[in-house]
Amino acid sequence: MELSAVNLTKRYGSKTAVNRLNVTLTNGVYGLLGANGAGKTTFMRLLCTVQRPTSGKIDLDGKNIWKLGERYRDVLGYLPQHFGYYPDFTALGFLLYVAALKGLDDRKAKKVSNKLLEEVGLSGESRRKIKTFSGGMKQRLGIAQAMLNDPYILILDEPTAGLDPKERVRFRNLISAYSKDRIVILSTHIVSDIEFIAEKIMMMKDGEIIHFGRPHEITSGIDGCVWECSVPTSRVEQYTASLNISNLRNEENGRTVLRVIADQPPVAGAVKVQPNLEDLFLYYFKGEDEQ
Amino acid sequence: MKKLIWLELRKIFSKRLTQFALAVGLLLSALLAFSTWQNKYASDGAGNEGTGRTAVEIDKAVAARYSGILTDEKVQQMIAEIVPESGENGLNAIYLYQNTIQSAVSARFSDINGNWNGLRVSDLFGDESIKIGYVDGWLSTSRNMTSILVAFSFFIIMMIAPVFCGEYSGVDNIILSSKYGRTKCAEAKVIAGIMAALITTAIVLAVNLLMALAFYGSEGLDCSILFAQLTYIEGGIPFNITCGTLLVYQSVLAVTGTIGVTGITLLFSAACKNQMIALVASVAVYALPLLLPVAETSALFRLVVLLPIYHAQFVSLMSVAQMSGILLYAIWAVPAALILIAAGSIFSRRVFAGHQVS
Ligand SMILES: Nc1ncnc2c1ncn2[C@@H]1O[C@H](COP(=O)(O)OP(=O)(O)OP(=O)(O)O)[C@@H](O)[C@H]1O
Ligand SMILES: [Mg+2]
Repeated sequence: MELSAVNLTKRYGSKTAVNRLNVTLTNGVYGLLGANGAGKTTFMRLLCTVQRPTSGKIDLDGKNIWKLGERYRDVLGYLPQHFGYYPDFTALGFLLYVAALKGLDDRKAKKVSNKLLEEVGLSGESRRKIKTFSGGMKQRLGIAQAMLNDPYILILDEPTAGLDPKERVRFRNLISAYSKDRIVILSTHIVSDIEFIAEKIMMMKDGEIIHFGRPHEITSGIDGCVWECSVPTSRVEQYTASLNISNLRNEENGRTVLRVIADQPPVAGAVKVQPNLEDLFLYYFKGEDEQ
Repeated sequence: MKKLIWLELRKIFSKRLTQFALAVGLLLSALLAFSTWQNKYASDGAGNEGTGRTAVEIDKAVAARYSGILTDEKVQQMIAEIVPESGENGLNAIYLYQNTIQSAVSARFSDINGNWNGLRVSDLFGDESIKIGYVDGWLSTSRNMTSILVAFSFFIIMMIAPVFCGEYSGVDNIILSSKYGRTKCAEAKVIAGIMAALITTAIVLAVNLLMALAFYGSEGLDCSILFAQLTYIEGGIPFNITCGTLLVYQSVLAVTGTIGVTGITLLFSAACKNQMIALVASVAVYALPLLLPVAETSALFRLVVLLPIYHAQFVSLMSVAQMSGILLYAIWAVPAALILIAAGSIFSRRVFAGHQVS
């Protein structure tokens, strides 16, 4: 199946959150990267039909998803970035509720809910009220509810937010096993999460997809722009103020190795290194936060 | 679909606020019924007097002596036997209260000193045949129920207001992206909302009527409301219907009132962004008719009185006009309520189905 956005635009008043976006997605895991406010959540909301585009459209196999209605949502799973829950529901109760909304019959709902609770590591807490859950536990419950209907299109907005390293690994494995013959789109700020599981990266900026491709393909765009150099530790502060630094590592001899993103060698003796996704991210979003 | 309705119902009833308010409603009913019963006073003029259970027994015994159709002979008999004469303790006879029958007959057929005022039954009631008996228990129950039902309609608003807008604080993301979110779920919410309102109303009605049965027994259901003690005259309904008919009307109007107010509340629940606004808006619209400067005599009042708050406050609506026999104008409350609930259901469903998260 093929999910495609055509001239997709969403405006909030004068603010354009998604701007004439065109992309076609087929089976695979897609990582959506972008700075805060780039439009990731808005794009995902449009994909999930919880918001209508201002103009443009999204088609599944050539049919408008709004026209498909129930038939589209039947194959859709969505983890919102921020989602509400019913504080007095138990984890299992909540899943059963969502399962009913997704049209699962009772028996199947129970079976799938319990299986998913196990897969996200909540089987021991299935009868606890959601209001007693930690942030990460709620997040995992959110992931479970998105997968209840075994969706062909799974959209996860910052699924790893709030997960501890162990749970992040569990999540990656879950998604890797799940993603065969499906479309999985996930956004995150934790670039390493995407590096491991995403087959393709969509990099968003100002409501547009500025890069789209396999991780090594899109990092090749900044080949020659990532450097490593060794500087005295005492002067690191000076460098961080003026350079775009993606990483620094203290050595024992009173020196620090900087990983710098720059078009020109930052200091004499800097060596070019292979760019990774984090470098790419910083290359494009340097200074976004200060704006 | 059944499953979805059931889940929505559970959601409504699992709210602490719902449970608490329902408990308060029932407690209030019990307190009001009990204190009314406790405060009853009667004496038979022959040395027996008492309150509470004794009063009810005395009232019933006195009523039993004259029960049946009210005739001029009965009036004379009652004036001779149970209407006190003034002078004994300085009060004019008309101000003396002994029991419900004495009060009813004094108010209509005696002068200030307790003598016959010259009126005949036909002067007061035309050719209606008025069945008299022990009506006090049912009439005071009806009066209590009016206050309770008015208070209870605010509880209904509280219960229904979050049905849609309770989801707008985040769960809407999940609901609206699920298969049935914009379709069956919205329908289930409407149906569950109506059912919850009807179920709670039925419970309150049942509790009140059962308590009345326990306190006063079933006597008087077939007696006219027109021959009641003085306190029920004002605001009374000027038609010769029985207590039973009165209670049937009150119950039907409680249900139509509930349906109407549910319609209004569903509408605001879907249209407002948060529960507080939905609540305030629903209460305002619901209570607005009471503030309208429409005189009871004006033609417009006949329309205003069909709004749900007057279903709970049912005496005004019941007093509008008699169509034929026991068919009163109040019956128009049924279509009025149906229109409101239809509008509320259709509108709220459409708004929720078209809702966008923010
Ligand atoms: N409901 C809204 N009303 C007005 N503006 C909005 C609304 N939602 C988002 N925006 C604006 O649209 C732009 C894109 O927001 P969006 O939430 O899609 O970004 P994001 O990439 O998901 O960011 P983050 O990484 O912080 O989650 C932002 O500038 C934001 O301020
Ligand atoms: Mg976001």
